[in-house]
Amino acid sequence: MNLPSYFFADLPPEAELTPTMITEACQALKRNREKYLAARSTPSLVNLLGELGAEWRLPDFPYRKLALEQGPALTGFSSATLEHGLDAFFQELTADNLEALLVQELGEGSRLDKFAAAEAESGARRQALARGPELLAHVAAGNLPNPAWMSLVLGVLTRSAQFMKCASGASYLPRLFAHSLYEMDKKLGACLEIAEWRGGNLAVEAALFAEADCVTATGGDAALAEIRSRLPADVRFLGYGHQLSFAYITAAAFAGGRLANTVEQAAVDVAAWDQQGCLSPHVIYVETGGNVMPERFAALLAEALERREAVMPRGTLSPEVAATIASRRSLYEVRSAHAPEDTKHWCSTGSTAWTVVFESDPRFQPSCLNRFIYVKGVKNLTEALQAADPVQGQVSTVGLAAPAAQAAELAPELARWGVSRVCPLGKMQHPPLAWRHDGRPALGDLITWTDLEV
Amino acid sequence: MTDSLYNFAARLREFIAATAGRFGAASPLHAQDEVAFATLALELFALQFAHNPAYRKICEARGVALATVTHWTQIPAVPTAAFKELELTCLAPEQRTAVFHSSGTTEQRPSRHFHCAESLALYETSARGFFNAHYAPELRPLILTPPPEQTPHSSLVHMFEMIRRDRNQPASAFVGALAADGSWVLNLERAQADLAQAICDDTPLLLLGTAFSFVHLLDALAEQNLKFRLPTGSRVMETGGYKGRSRTLPKAELHALISDRLGVPPAHIGCEYGMSELSSQAYDTGKLGEPTYGERSFHFPPWARAQLISPETGRAVAVGETGLIRIVDLANAVSVLAIQTEDLGVRHPGGFKLLGRAQLAESRGCSLMPAA
Repeated sequence: MNLPSYFFADLPPEAELTPTMITEACQALKRNREKYLAARSTPSLVNLLGELGAEWRLPDFPYRKLALEQGPALTGFSSATLEHGLDAFFQELTADNLEALLVQELGEGSRLDKFAAAEAESGARRQALARGPELLAHVAAGNLPNPAWMSLVLGVLTRSAQFMKCASGASYLPRLFAHSLYEMDKKLGACLEIAEWRGGNLAVEAALFAEADCVTATGGDAALAEIRSRLPADVRFLGYGHQLSFAYITAAAFAGGRLANTVEQAAVDVAAWDQQGCLSPHVIYVETGGNVMPERFAALLAEALERREAVMPRGTLSPEVAATIASRRSLYEVRSAHAPEDTKHWCSTGSTAWTVVFESDPRFQPSCLNRFIYVKGVKNLTEALQAADPVQGQVSTVGLAAPAAQAAELAPELARWGVSRVCPLGKMQHPPLAWRHDGRPALGDLITWTDLEV
Repeated sequence: MTDSLYNFAARLREFIAATAGRFGAASPLHAQDEVAFATLALELFALQFAHNPAYRKICEARGVALATVTHWTQIPAVPTAAFKELELTCLAPEQRTAVFHSSGTTEQRPSRHFHCAESLALYETSARGFFNAHYAPELRPLILTPPPEQTPHSSLVHMFEMIRRDRNQPASAFVGALAADGSWVLNLERAQADLAQAICDDTPLLLLGTAFSFVHLLDALAEQNLKFRLPTGSRVMETGGYKGRSRTLPKAELHALISDRLGVPPAHIGCEYGMSELSSQAYDTGKLGEPTYGERSFHFPPWARAQLISPETGRAVAVGETGLIRIVDLANAVSVLAIQTEDLGVRHPGGFKLLGRAQLAESRGCSLMPAA
């Protein structure tokens, strides 16, 4: 199956986009939105997106098949890793979850269609109507497709025309999703554009920003600041900066025969999307003082990653990225030869597929990713948070393995420290549809309210 | 340093004297040189295994014993980063009369490569042997780095000082200086005066410096709208990365600018590849008196070998493929002969093309290195 040329990103790579092309495309998107999308009802869009989510989970769905067949060459993920990631996302894309998201974000599910009161407001003779941006521009980062897919879903809910600019070489999966939407509903598809260019093409980007009402951007902090500086003053900017994540395992998480499962869940989080997302752990903190020492956990995790490699291999790396792993490994090899009580390491043989490094020094260490994980022992969460001090404020997710009562005690401490999401170990790269990205309202940040006092 | 290492150094010097000119298409290495290299390498490995405890520990952790190494390609290589953390030397503390440090303004802890008088002499024999095989002895050096008394721990400056002494030039051939913050700067007035003098005397120059020192010079000349045409026969040799000390230029662009501002054609601009952890250097220009054929590639002297190792599999890569550069350098007699760098290169038939450094440390706030 060949993808038809609906989007700029479908054009051959040598096709160059000009500012005029961008301006004209944006204006066409806005006209199409007015004609085909602005008056659509929320239930119809929710049902359509829910159906699309179900389709993507069918083994024979052509776009899914394409993603799994061509994805490895075009994205660097193995087919099994892609499948795991696709399922994690599309399992969540259901009509029920979308309705719950609308209620969570808007207080009431129909407020994008009409003035309505949330339950808490009903006695106060107030109603409100939510409006989305006319043209929503997305500057998507590379690596993972989930944030790009989610951005597109939210933009459909807000009835926005959408123009997504992908990082160079990273448009394939967003494009497939847009094609599947187009296929399902051509009029809706006509309100979408997907393009790819190398960031920093100022003239083309200026043309896009001049037409947009709201720009979302994912990327490094410097890149976001730079984009923000180029936006017209009346354009709303939603930036999702560089975040990282870690896991925390309490000593009690190993009790009562739970060790094997805890190790397995940790391996799931390290392997998902080859650890490339903001939600993937860099470090796993393991409490000392229980019956499983951090070194032993690290050794078991290495075995689990080896088993996972057999069924869900890591993707192919460029020599540059592999060299980073090889160089780091050789340093830890030297350290473990000289101070084995402080450093131990486990590596896949004949490849860089996975690496586990145990260090007695609890200081947070950013991983070079691609299934390279640090395991560090700490006495308690307080010590772990002290050790992670250099990344305070940049931590998205903490994957927590602890009995429920203990987790309930630890979560407030993590929240006060600044973590924006706490989830069970094994679910780090599997957030619910309605999760608040970087702690911000998912849909709420996109809309503008009109209040009505009656 | 033990008698056995002295003895090794003496024999290596003979090998260097015999083979320094044996490279390139016209006069390749003799078959017996290959055998001699292989023999010397295994012999040196045995000596270092016995006398370098830090190295021995690494070998043993890898399960390598003397008897398991039967070919020089099996000698365990030590990552350059290990020189920051360990004392990788055969010298007892009281024998360490000199130390070379890795450069770079961002390093928390530099590499330390210890030397004694004998190992420095061997370093110079190695450096001189191969440098002189590429650059004519009558060229007058003009050196863009600080002088050795300001940079006693730079192996590069040590080599440049040797070149200066060998060519009977005054200490003023160094036109760089150390700034108060420790960075290397250029005395532009003196550099320009020396360039002008060489043109006036019609004496070909041998301009030596780091890539960033050339950028400093070229930027200053551009600012004054000045161009020199150095006398025919002049040569330029640049080395090293930028290390954040100037704007970064692609190699071809740097060489084009040098040509434009100094009048030295690109064919006469060469690169050196060396580091404080090594005692031999690689060059990417043809042998003295022979043109550089085809695409440039770095080649080490006959007493050192570069291998390109696949970072993915750990095995040597085929010609045309990319790998991490690993060097076996017999002139590293009192430290470790097998060095694993973090530099990526593409394997060429006669050597390698340098691509650049793997990113070992992430820049985000945390360092891989423990606090000093």
